[in-house]
Amino acid sequence: MSGPLSTSGENPLAEATVERVAPPAVLVVFGASGDLTSRKLMPAVENLALRRLLPPGFSVVGVARTPMTDEEFRERMRAAVEVSGGGGEDAKHVWEAFAGGGFRYVAGDYSHPDTFKRLKDVLDELDEQRGTAQNRLIYLATPPDTFPTVVQGLAGCGLNRPANDDAFVRIVIEKPFGRDARSAERLDAVVHEAFEERQVYRIDHYLGKETVQNVLALRFANAIFEPIWNRRYVNHVQITVAESLGVGHRGGFYENAGALRDIVQNHVMQVLALTLMEPPATFDAGGIRDEKVKALRAVDVMSPEEVAQNVVRAQYRSGWVQGSEVHGYRDEEGVDPHSQTETYVAMRLKVDNWRWAGVPIYVRTGKYLPKRVTEVAMEFNRVPHLPFAMSQAEGLEPDALVLRIQPDEGITLRFGAKVPGQAFRVRSVSMDFFYGAAFLEETPEAYERLLLDALLGDPTLFIRSDEVAQAWRIVDPVLEAFGEGDLPLARYEAGTWGPPEADTLLDRDGRRWRKP
Amino acid sequence: MPESTTVTTIGSWESDNVTIGQVENALTDLRRHEQRAAVRTSVLTLVAVVNTDAEADGARQIIADLGARHPSRSLIIVAVDDEPDAANGTDASVWVRAIEREGRAVCFEEVVLRVRGNARHHLDSIVEPFALPDVPMVVWLPAGLPSPGDPLMQAANRVVVDSRAVAEAGGDVLARSLTLAKRLPVADLSWMRLEQWRSMLTGLFEGAVYRPFLGAVDRVEVRGNHGPRFLLGGWLLRRLNLPPVRVHLARDDHVSVTIHGVYDGRRGTFTVARLGAEREIKSCVDIEDGPKVEQTVRMREQWPSLALASALTRFGHDEIYEEALAGARDLRLAEGDQMGPTP
Repeated sequence: MSGPLSTSGENPLAEATVERVAPPAVLVVFGASGDLTSRKLMPAVENLALRRLLPPGFSVVGVARTPMTDEEFRERMRAAVEVSGGGGEDAKHVWEAFAGGGFRYVAGDYSHPDTFKRLKDVLDELDEQRGTAQNRLIYLATPPDTFPTVVQGLAGCGLNRPANDDAFVRIVIEKPFGRDARSAERLDAVVHEAFEERQVYRIDHYLGKETVQNVLALRFANAIFEPIWNRRYVNHVQITVAESLGVGHRGGFYENAGALRDIVQNHVMQVLALTLMEPPATFDAGGIRDEKVKALRAVDVMSPEEVAQNVVRAQYRSGWVQGSEVHGYRDEEGVDPHSQTETYVAMRLKVDNWRWAGVPIYVRTGKYLPKRVTEVAMEFNRVPHLPFAMSQAEGLEPDALVLRIQPDEGITLRFGAKVPGQAFRVRSVSMDFFYGAAFLEETPEAYERLLLDALLGDPTLFIRSDEVAQAWRIVDPVLEAFGEGDLPLARYEAGTWGPPEADTLLDRDGRRWRKP
Repeated sequence: MPESTTVTTIGSWESDNVTIGQVENALTDLRRHEQRAAVRTSVLTLVAVVNTDAEADGARQIIADLGARHPSRSLIIVAVDDEPDAANGTDASVWVRAIEREGRAVCFEEVVLRVRGNARHHLDSIVEPFALPDVPMVVWLPAGLPSPGDPLMQAANRVVVDSRAVAEAGGDVLARSLTLAKRLPVADLSWMRLEQWRSMLTGLFEGAVYRPFLGAVDRVEVRGNHGPRFLLGGWLLRRLNLPPVRVHLARDDHVSVTIHGVYDGRRGTFTVARLGAEREIKSCVDIEDGPKVEQTVRMREQWPSLALASALTRFGHDEIYEEALAGARDLRLAEGDQMGPTP
């Protein structure tokens, strides 16, 4: 039987198990001469093209202040991708394809309407010449203070709205999403004046990491974990985002950010939401993001007194990290010698919902810690009665399940086992599962994954406006306490796991930090 | 195999005229005495059935490359058919290996059994003792299709075949594959290799501008060898709900697909084609009085293990493949012929 085929919906040739190619579109990058564009976005574009996931006609338009021709921009990006480990013989075709008019550049000031008019002309040309169908993915790879100017400039030229019902215009915004709740709200208001929320893709590259997504797979694809994922079995949760590097050349930026804004408000809150959320009814953007918001909404907001009790902030001083002697934070380039900016934060959070009531969530993040590691550790309650003498179980720790997000992605389960021999002695052993031991396959880089999702219109791994608001709701009182000097700034030696005050935070509860 | 991957042998054992129990014991001993092999992450039991020692060597090489993607216990059975009167007997070789990349290692086990006599008609009884608990058993037939009633199929959760390799040996391959696919989930490596063509062709119709042309197709041209051109032709026939008369197949050494259609008064031509012997694929969209864009990309690497690795990620029926087979049958019927290799 044959007959006319309806093509108004999904592509009839598409298969769920075959990777989808992006629709024809133009990627418009503001901040095209910047670091993010050359180090992350362009390698992602090259890799997507190499994986045959970009359609013929796909085009890139860079916008920045630096004067450059189309050709110079393309060559500069090509060279930058090579520096990032890309390029090579296979990439030759990718750049040759772009040489045919698929790589354009618009130099101009973001505050000048003429910049956007010229951008519009270029986009119209590309639609005509390369069939990009008036589809645009606009990427703001610029400093956050330029977001309102760029957004208003786009709206002033009508570049914020799709030209017809079949076309799309989406805007990708990089973190930080504001400096606090109020500025985030203001930013949202500016963005929402020009774009509908469904057009806005707020990117936190952490969500593009395979192992962060694996938290969802582990929790919701396995029947054995979910029944114990609650207050009856879990004693407490520890989330660690440790960096073994200092601020490097980002001292100037970091002075205005600090660990709370740089890591806790976004990465930590996202990992926390994925860990604590309820199972979504549907595994799509709406289903998952609704549950994440509910989880964040259940996190208790601290009063100033509670901040003093439950938060530790600290700054690194000089020390030794992985065999190298390093400067203290105040000696870093671009940093005030009397800086009060925190490079380390530890917090005890309380979650007021049915599942997690009474289970403390300990969070810590810092720079120049002994090693780079991101993990979520669930420590379980001890057995109600130990049927052997304490001397037989001296090495027995509570059971724990650790989700290692980076760098050794995998899962560790710690449990008690009998020590071989005549005597009956029990000690803890760790059973490690490395994703790498089951799958040695290469996984796409986070930016590659997220860029393709944005082109395909899948916002699941992007952050919705209400998620940002909920994260700021938790962090804001802490920021206020920092700003008002209500919380003393502790110091820790670079290369250690943080200040003694952070240990005291757990000691008080009869617990201690894990050594990841 | 990726250059950064190395395979090392942790231990091995071999003996002639052995029982299956002896082979199992040898395997256990090898694992027990080597710490690296004590931890195993297995996702399946893979059984490859071949007829000659040379085929067994080829299969072993592919499986070694596969270890990085699908750590498994692999069983290669040489069902020796050139010694019809031989007494029942089995010669066995066993290896425990580690495949390493960037400091990480995966251990896998490999057993080669040379089966003589009538036992080769009862391979199910030989493979069952080696099946790892709780993981699927996949039977891979590198150069053939199972005969009707083959008891080994009862033990398999999935069968992997290569219709192109079988077609080269002759026979009504796609029709037999369709019959097999109705009974068991089948993965066809020839279909897997066509994935990049399918993906790129599908990609040409992403977005609302080009998609309407799929509802207005007046001609499809598919070129290639017998299996690929019938599979792609059958796939398009069924997915686009076309009458067979609009699908034109032609013999060629390299695959190419062109779809023609007229929408809104404009003719559109969409092509994905391999460029001669170069390992490059060109895709092109040409709209009358509209954009004409093209792109050339490198073909995906075609290590034999990659198609097999892709086949092993899926365990259910591949309904789109089965539709493509049915479409291929329709095309052959329209040609007034049986599905068999084109001379």
